[in-house]
Amino acid sequence: MSSEADQNNNRNNNCMIISNEFNKNTIDTATTFSPPNSRQHLAVVSNSSSSSRPPSPPPARTVGPPGSSTALRTKEPEPPVFEKGIAGEISANFGQMVQIIFIKPLRIKVAVEPSNIIKVATFLRDNLGFDHAESVAGTDYPKEDQIEVIYHLGSYSREDLAGQVLSIATRTNRDDARLPTLINIYKSVEYHERETFEMLGVYFEGHPRNERFLLPEDWADIPPLRKEFRIKGR
Amino acid sequence: MEDLEDRINESQKMGMQIIKESDDDRLMTLSVGPQHPGSGHFRFVVKLDGDYIVHCDPDPGYVHRGEEKMTEYRNFIQNIPHLERPVIHDSTNITYSYSLAVEELTGIEVPRRGQFIRAIASELNRQVYTLYWLAIYGIFLGHSTMFMWPTGDRELFIDLLEALTGARVTHAFNIPGGVRNDVPNGFKDRCLRQISYYEKRLKEYEDIFYNNPLVRQRTEGVGILTKEDAIRLGVTGSVLRASGVPYDIRKAEPYDVYNEIDFKVQYMKTADSFARAYVPFLDMRESCHILRQLLDKMPEAGEVRAKLQANPRGPPGEAYRRVESGRGSLGYYIISDGTPKPYRVKISVGSFRNMLALPHLLVGAKMGDMPVIYWALNYWPVEADR
Amino acid sequence: MATVPEEFRFGNFLASIIWIILIVIVVLTLVILPLTFVILFYVPLPPVNGEVLTPYLFLTSVVDPTRTLPIVKYLIHQTPFKVVVFPGFVFAAIIAAATIFVERKFLAKMQLRVGPLYAGVWGVSEGILQLAADGLKVISKEILIPSGADKPIFWAAPIAFVATAAAVVALIPVAPGWVVSNTNVGLIAVFAILGFFPLIALLFSWASNSKYPFIGGLRALHQMIAFEIPFILSALSVVILAGSLNLTQIATSQHPFWFILFLPISAFVFFISSLAELERVPFDLPEAESEIVAGWLTETSGMIYGLIQLGSYLKVYALSALFVILFLGGWSGPLIFPPQLGPADAIPLEKVLTLQGLYNPVTVNAIFWFLVKTIGIIMLMLLPRGISPRIRIDILLHTGWYKLIVLAFVNMFVALALIYAGVLGPGGSLSLH
Repeated sequence: MSSEADQNNNRNNNCMIISNEFNKNTIDTATTFSPPNSRQHLAVVSNSSSSSRPPSPPPARTVGPPGSSTALRTKEPEPPVFEKGIAGEISANFGQMVQIIFIKPLRIKVAVEPSNIIKVATFLRDNLGFDHAESVAGTDYPKEDQIEVIYHLGSYSREDLAGQVLSIATRTNRDDARLPTLINIYKSVEYHERETFEMLGVYFEGHPRNERFLLPEDWADIPPLRKEFRIKGR
Repeated sequence: MEDLEDRINESQKMGMQIIKESDDDRLMTLSVGPQHPGSGHFRFVVKLDGDYIVHCDPDPGYVHRGEEKMTEYRNFIQNIPHLERPVIHDSTNITYSYSLAVEELTGIEVPRRGQFIRAIASELNRQVYTLYWLAIYGIFLGHSTMFMWPTGDRELFIDLLEALTGARVTHAFNIPGGVRNDVPNGFKDRCLRQISYYEKRLKEYEDIFYNNPLVRQRTEGVGILTKEDAIRLGVTGSVLRASGVPYDIRKAEPYDVYNEIDFKVQYMKTADSFARAYVPFLDMRESCHILRQLLDKMPEAGEVRAKLQANPRGPPGEAYRRVESGRGSLGYYIISDGTPKPYRVKISVGSFRNMLALPHLLVGAKMGDMPVIYWALNYWPVEADR
Repeated sequence: MATVPEEFRFGNFLASIIWIILIVIVVLTLVILPLTFVILFYVPLPPVNGEVLTPYLFLTSVVDPTRTLPIVKYLIHQTPFKVVVFPGFVFAAIIAAATIFVERKFLAKMQLRVGPLYAGVWGVSEGILQLAADGLKVISKEILIPSGADKPIFWAAPIAFVATAAAVVALIPVAPGWVVSNTNVGLIAVFAILGFFPLIALLFSWASNSKYPFIGGLRALHQMIAFEIPFILSALSVVILAGSLNLTQIATSQHPFWFILFLPISAFVFFISSLAELERVPFDLPEAESEIVAGWLTETSGMIYGLIQLGSYLKVYALSALFVILFLGGWSGPLIFPPQLGPADAIPLEKVLTLQGLYNPVTVNAIFWFLVKTIGIIMLMLLPRGISPRIRIDILLHTGWYKLIVLAFVNMFVALALIYAGVLGPGGSLSLH
């Protein structure tokens, strides 16, 4: 559990550390991380036709015990050049304010602090061409006392970004979860943020209606997607 | 018992507050509520000024079952049967996306024949869903023949799927690693015969419905969603394609064997309700071509399912995979913590995204346009609630 | 059901039959016989062939059955019979019931279904008893009255609906001399009575104290009023050509040619307006299911719903019959029935069976052709239900107030021109009177 000083430290420091047991292997911004056995489904739809390849029937193999993913990383022949370009542009513009979590074919994840997220999102919309947010997901990490809200951005207007999904993740602590809303940049997050509010208890500052949406009117329990919420009867 | 009474009164009071009558005498507040033949399991509150809608407020949640929370209590394979319940008649697609995401997390490889069968089942299910949607659209316009014909033709596809999977609607056919079982004998011929018959029927649908002057009068020019608005609101699926954006996940991010199939993305530029009603029809036609190619190219023999461990698990990580379902892009964002049970599953459904267009389009429309606009948004309430 | 049926015992079965016979005998002796005697003593009996009909004269029909025929003929021409049975309420109700059944089967065939299938004798008359089953169901359901509803109007409106529909039926002549009320202003009376329906719909929807019926009632009001004017105008062209408002005379004045030949546009306008008056698809906005639940019928349940459906289908028959009388020549058609059904010198029983003295070939022929044409028009009215969606209120009002009135006027000018040119009308070259 991080103490108060630690949290302040984390916030004041522009470089937010996202380390947890889930993304331990991926802090590197420069290397590309491709999951094993991703060959058959990700033909990159980009102008550079060199990165597209026909699927070959892969040998069926089972998965090893957890934690051995580093051993399987060595088989990947080509890094996705296009995504690296996008990630490079973002880091060139924002430097230490953002942190690239991973770059996979067609998937890029970027971590931002709540105070900078509006700037980053505006940049992504205006300069890079990601014009809508597909979904907003909130995840509860009680072990780090944080809630992560991740926005998946996509692009409809640019042909070369057709299959790309850029995810922006922010974190806030669980006790007083507040985040600035992205509704003025991406109107499509309106209902998703409202659902995240009621399911996780994250208050979005600036959102016109932080209200119950899917849950019944007389819901009197804690937000259901928090980890301490137990389904009754189990 | 008093406690129960109090709770009921309390919730009734809270429910009444949602549809508080306007102070202005001129407006009438209508709850196009769950008890309404024209709304499905969904409520939206409209305020009417005469015949015009001036305010609309969607109120989903009547079929919310906590799918995302339930996935955290079951392992990856056990999640399949309950995850297909949000859209029971398009169940192959909603589990397809899940299977793709789990395969990315756990590193399972799907054999080639399994990929083809998965794609075939997905296309058949897309037909089933779109026919159901078309039937309801017909009856919402008052056209009872357009309700009966697609429902009847849908039965033939359901029979095909029953021969393939064993169940009529909730198939539980896709699992991470492939499909559950192989196709039965004679399936390919039966499927091809069915598609030939069906393409003739599509011509009749056009004659009676899409070229019907009354239908055109009611749907053309109604509820125009411009291309900029469509992109800004982030709608997906046939709604987006009817507004002039040729975006289809099968082309943008081909999964499984879709990069070997040659098909065109169907879209229209007029962006009114008629376009939103016509694009799924064009999609159905295209889907017939896709089915023919899939049946043609499917390898004759092979495994249909990868061999799995008892509790498949993968390294800690996350995956976001999408599939083009009947309503649009259906995405799964799964975070795994190394255990056999997922840590978090977020389902991003097309209906929830398209719901945002509903107040945008209904305000300013007439009451008579309400079913025309509402159902053309390809909204399935159960899926939006999850 | 989940209960185990009782074992069949022949003794119980026999006992129940004997009980039924006993009850019938009791009812006969205690109720029907005294009633018969009361009627015979106190009700004045009609004179038949110059003699007063006494029970003794009536009983001579045991010997000579042909004596019953003049009695039947006398009774048939009495007004109560005409009002109740033919061409009045029972006749119209039977046609209405047949219409409902035919509609369901007809639509089912169009929609690749089978329609009612189980209620009836399998293989012979599938589903023909479905109407009876539905009627029993409707009668047995609980009638729910919404809270705050205006009870007197709530109960009176459906009855008024059926009564008004029956009143329209009463003005329709089926054969020469067979009409319940033969007034000289028959056509105007029909329109006057039809103008009562929007009021009933509005009152009922207001009395339901609920929002969706309110919207439905307003729509019904707008729709029916908008289409009354083209309705009247198109009928007016017929009056111009026929020279009379009496429906029987209008039917008989179509001797050489039916009016539809000269007034096709008026017939079309009349047909569309009658579809709108009847609230049939594509004009079933007042009951638009997907927008306003069931419109002004939302709060009807049980017998109230049954009465309103009966009234609706009575109106269907009435307006189709009106169309036939105005445009299709009423009952005119070639005489296809023989002058006598049997030889004149047959034994009395055969004379009774062949209805000599009662059978009038002209009348039967008129009824036959009238029914054929009316059923044809009813089928034409059923057809849009299978091929059309519902129309929207502003398109409907636009059509009713602008387009149809213009069309009706066009044909009226054609009719006036024909009369002025001396082609039709009294003394014209094409008419025979």
